[in-house]
Amino acid sequence: MALQDKLAALVDEGKDAFRVDRSVYFDPEIFEAELASIFEGGWIYLCHESQIASAGDYFTTRMGRQPVFVVRRRNGEIGAFINACAHRGATLALHEHGNAGAFTCRFHGWSFAHDGRCIRIKNEETGGYANPACRDEFSLTPVPRVESYRGFVFGSLRADVGPLGDMLGPTRPWIDLMVDQSPQGLEILPGASTYVIHGNWKMQAENGVDGYHVSTVHKVFAQTLAQREAKLGLSGLQRTEHGRITGNVASAGYDFGHGHMAIWATHSDPTKRPVYAERERLAQTMSPAQLDWLLNRGRNLYLFPNVLLMDNPSTQVRTIQPISPDRAEVTVRCIAPIGENREARAARLRKFEDFYLTTGMATSDDLAALEATHAGGYGRAARWNHFARGAVGTMHGAENADAMAIGCEPDSSTANWDHETFYHGFYRYWKKRLLDSPEVR
Amino acid sequence: MSTRIDSAVSALVLDEARLIDQKRWAEWLMLYTEDAVFWMPSWKDETHTTDDPELQLNLIYLPNRQGLEDRIYRIETGDSFASVPLDRTTHVVGGALVTGESPAGIQAWAGWIVHTYGYRGTTTRSGSYEYLLRETAEGLRIARKKVVMIDDRLEGAVDVYHV
Repeated sequence: MALQDKLAALVDEGKDAFRVDRSVYFDPEIFEAELASIFEGGWIYLCHESQIASAGDYFTTRMGRQPVFVVRRRNGEIGAFINACAHRGATLALHEHGNAGAFTCRFHGWSFAHDGRCIRIKNEETGGYANPACRDEFSLTPVPRVESYRGFVFGSLRADVGPLGDMLGPTRPWIDLMVDQSPQGLEILPGASTYVIHGNWKMQAENGVDGYHVSTVHKVFAQTLAQREAKLGLSGLQRTEHGRITGNVASAGYDFGHGHMAIWATHSDPTKRPVYAERERLAQTMSPAQLDWLLNRGRNLYLFPNVLLMDNPSTQVRTIQPISPDRAEVTVRCIAPIGENREARAARLRKFEDFYLTTGMATSDDLAALEATHAGGYGRAARWNHFARGAVGTMHGAENADAMAIGCEPDSSTANWDHETFYHGFYRYWKKRLLDSPEVR
Repeated sequence: MSTRIDSAVSALVLDEARLIDQKRWAEWLMLYTEDAVFWMPSWKDETHTTDDPELQLNLIYLPNRQGLEDRIYRIETGDSFASVPLDRTTHVVGGALVTGESPAGIQAWAGWIVHTYGYRGTTTRSGSYEYLLRETAEGLRIARKKVVMIDDRLEGAVDVYHV
């Protein structure tokens, strides 16, 4: 069956239902199309500027299956290249991250400048090259589009994509709420955790904005912290909002278009957030609506296709790397306002470690839940995943005055993070991207 | 610095491995002093772990025994998705080496391999332990334990009993 026909049958948008065939998580042909059309065919997140702060700093990653490195040039600009020597293809930037005056291949000793130009061919003069100016032919292959938004660096292996800002669209005020917590911006803190999920990359995308599971999967986290706090009599930032996880707080779910999704839920006690001490300073530059959004709402934002920005009791950048239909690699990093005081920084990290790690007490349970959906998905006789919650009560665009107050117009939204209508936008856009790709057309 | 094998230290380190593998949680916790620190740093890059547990990201950083008790509490509720059913583990801990002694206690080092079997399949992880042991009225106890896990692309959830 042609991919177009296959895709048309996978997403079932009835009048009263929205169903997705579970084969979207398993089908190798779909996975190959996703790599080509989505991960190697448009904007994806690469890294944060604080990870390449100085000239020569580089960060290695992959775009789909293609190894790339991102590098800070001496003039402060950021570039990215396929991480392979122009000569015979050996990996060039060696480490996960590092600093290099130039990139020298360990195989034959060729060197490349930060802008990708070949600046040295070992024994060039005795090389017997037909073209005496051959060095000019051996530049590294650049990632054709690299742009930043407020410190978050994105790249596209396809040149003919629109500006990054258009792709981010109405998610920008949400990103701003995170960045504007410090006049100096944000920084990724030392250390990271990477884990392999037994499941499809889209399961992580869904899981990162799934408000509906919180009161079941994380009830035990809330109970555990409640007994800790009672036993130790903790105070201040060492306390948590365990009541919020099981309690009833205001919340919402957003479809931002372009496959972006988000949820927020009100903080039951914002004084336990590390950012709370900054409220008076923040009030000088932010509107009352922005300040309310920043201090009183925990927010999870998924940017299609490979990054989640979370600003809850702690703050996180979570990247998703597809490996195969049934495997993905996830890396979590703590991101924090530059210059925050020591007590807030330590509290932010401890809250991160308690919750956001597979070595912690909540993300470990998320991972198990996600992998359970993967295991169950092999039961192919049961075909459909249902995303029906929130069909009644959906607001369209600017009808959501609450969001418009911070200059953010979602495609659609509902006033409950238990709802699932934002996944409709994700799967519609996902299908559109696969059908629009040159490979399919 | 001189190093030596000490039978009391080795017995304590091996006893900890045994109590974990047999899931005798209450007895395991009693090997720790109330103010014991349990620390497993994360990796900054291929060769360095984080080295400031307060201001850098750790995989696990529990500043007192209550942190370990929290982990056991969570397991024993039966409500943790990742902990039902519990994985089986075998800790293989090499001979513990006494690496130093000071008024704060005895420092010891041991290498570990933990083989895990569970619903997710089998996994083998490894690393090292650095202990600070303190003589108490109840005997030799763990006042501090640093766990370095060399694996940096984790397969499955890793709780305190997996390392």
